[in-house]
Amino acid sequence: MPSQYDTLEKAILSGDQESGVSEAVKLLEGGQDPVLLFTECIEPLLEDVGEKFSRLEIFLPEMVNASKVVKAVHETAKPYLKNEEDDVSKGKIIIATVSGDLHDIGKNIVKAMLEVNGYDIQDLGVDVPTQTIVKQAKEFDADIIALSALMLPSLPFVKDVVEFMEGNQKVKVIVGGGPVSQEWADEAGTDGYGNNAIDAVALVKDILGA
Amino acid sequence: MKHTTRLLDIIERSLNGPMMDEEDFNDQHVTQGLARVVKEFDITVSQDQIINQDDALADRVWEAAVAFLSECGVYCQTTNRVIQFSKKEIIDILKYAPDTVIVGQGTDAVQEYARSVEDSRRPLLMGSSIGTPIEDEYFVPVMISYIQEPEVDVTMAPTLTNIYGYDIRTRSPLEIISSWREVELTLEAMRRAGRPGMAFTGVGSSISDVGQLSADGPGGLRRTDLHTFGIVSELKTSFEILNKLTHILQRDGVVDPYANPIYGGLGGGMDGQAVLITAAMIALNVVFMATCVGTSPTHPFNFNDTGKELLIPTSLSFQAIARNSKLMSNLTNTAVGGPGTKTLLYECIASTVMMTVSGGSRILGPRPATGTVTGHFTGLEARFTGELLTAAAKLDRNKAEEIVQKAYAKYEADLTTQPYGKHFKDVYDLKTIQPTKEWLDMYEEVKNEAAGWGLSFD
Repeated sequence: MPSQYDTLEKAILSGDQESGVSEAVKLLEGGQDPVLLFTECIEPLLEDVGEKFSRLEIFLPEMVNASKVVKAVHETAKPYLKNEEDDVSKGKIIIATVSGDLHDIGKNIVKAMLEVNGYDIQDLGVDVPTQTIVKQAKEFDADIIALSALMLPSLPFVKDVVEFMEGNQKVKVIVGGGPVSQEWADEAGTDGYGNNAIDAVALVKDILGA
Repeated sequence: MKHTTRLLDIIERSLNGPMMDEEDFNDQHVTQGLARVVKEFDITVSQDQIINQDDALADRVWEAAVAFLSECGVYCQTTNRVIQFSKKEIIDILKYAPDTVIVGQGTDAVQEYARSVEDSRRPLLMGSSIGTPIEDEYFVPVMISYIQEPEVDVTMAPTLTNIYGYDIRTRSPLEIISSWREVELTLEAMRRAGRPGMAFTGVGSSISDVGQLSADGPGGLRRTDLHTFGIVSELKTSFEILNKLTHILQRDGVVDPYANPIYGGLGGGMDGQAVLITAAMIALNVVFMATCVGTSPTHPFNFNDTGKELLIPTSLSFQAIARNSKLMSNLTNTAVGGPGTKTLLYECIASTVMMTVSGGSRILGPRPATGTVTGHFTGLEARFTGELLTAAAKLDRNKAEEIVQKAYAKYEADLTTQPYGKHFKDVYDLKTIQPTKEWLDMYEEVKNEAAGWGLSFD
């Protein structure tokens, strides 16, 4: 990675939002191409963060903090982008734990992994009614609805979301969680299944081609 | 009703405690709070030694956990408030924690008791695989395969895959029907196995308060059974969970909850995990008025608790509890291996020996194939676990470490490949409800190997 990004890299890895934003402003004011800032520095860095977490060399808080710095840098860089299409989001994803299920850590791990891989995430939380998921997916113009279901009796609510989205060619519904299997996900009519957060990232990359 | 004053105090705190955003609680209270106490109390966990041999470290983990819990509290998702108890209040409440309880009825009743590190008394065995899906037709046979084992002291129910052909849906009439069905089938299995008074914990098929509580009353779960519920990781509750607690207390039942911290999550690595497991089990008594406190700390990608990164902090945490309180602690052995694999049996050795010498009161399971594969659990691995409990109670921590390391070396490579093994129907004769020769031979082979390592099964 080019040395001009050293300070920004340090800020992202240490979760220092203030330093990250001020360094980004410094680089951008100095004529740094905002697109290159992402492709040369932030994207490879975040990919590395995600890989380190998948090997548990770092943990969720470090990954979330890195992601928060990048979000702030992203907001800072927006006014410097010449074209809207230069915006770096690889896709929009709604994530939620379905109705009747209060588990959130698994979902939060998947969310953080997707964020550090450059996807734009809207997290609806836990115990989210089907109608809310569907409505928010439309409002957010989501490419993917990622559902978490940790308990057997919460699985039917995944099927409800799939049924609601039937006929919608744009939005793909993917699912993960303890009682879910590839076989169940196929039967339920989802567009994909991830056994864990690492799988989820690979699945999303596969679906969105990015 | 017992403990009305305490229960009202907890409800009061859930209604009037400090209000905060859930993400701020995760970050400021849990993650930062743990990082602070890990540093302050100098918690540095061995990266390789599985069974803790350092009493001073176990005591520091306890101190760190009490300090952390008093600052962090438990988050109520319904009211967005933090239920907090001061350090002094936590210590005062723990003084009155029960150290023994009798569960079950008649000649099937058993006593659970708080144990010390290297205690020579055998912990209890709760046989079966809680929460694992099972088809209705195999429910009774698989439960008999556990209950008929003399090594099994108490039991618990798996989860029905569907109810009369319908998907079970939480907070629906189908969840209530399935809760009743689970209890009816469990009681039937106990009658058929000749142990009708055995205690069991429930209700596993139901996650909502209405589903669970419907079958917790006359004709359903008995007062002498154990009444379980899980809190939300990390250190969170809701009125739905407190409703379950309130109902159990109204029934004067045995409160048997669990907390399953996620490794690599908000608690970070092994140092924070050791403190978090300890704090969560303390919270189960202080905030959830538990009679017995349970855990099955979970790997974020493999979903087991038999990897070193979980065995090490669990051993330390159980020792911290055993040395500094009279809490009755229990561990669910969640394995990656399934029936018909040696992996599962080696995981049983590591987990059971570790928990026994570390002062746990009861082991649950094992829960093979991470508890997620339909029908992948049998009574034979529970028989082995029971025998291991007796053998491990004769060991000191040094010898236990030597044995656990040998067992671990046998399955370490399988943790990511996860050999889920076979369905109950494929490793048991359904007429006699006895293991097939192949599965029995495998068990005998591993048992002999373990005997050679120094486990005495006499």
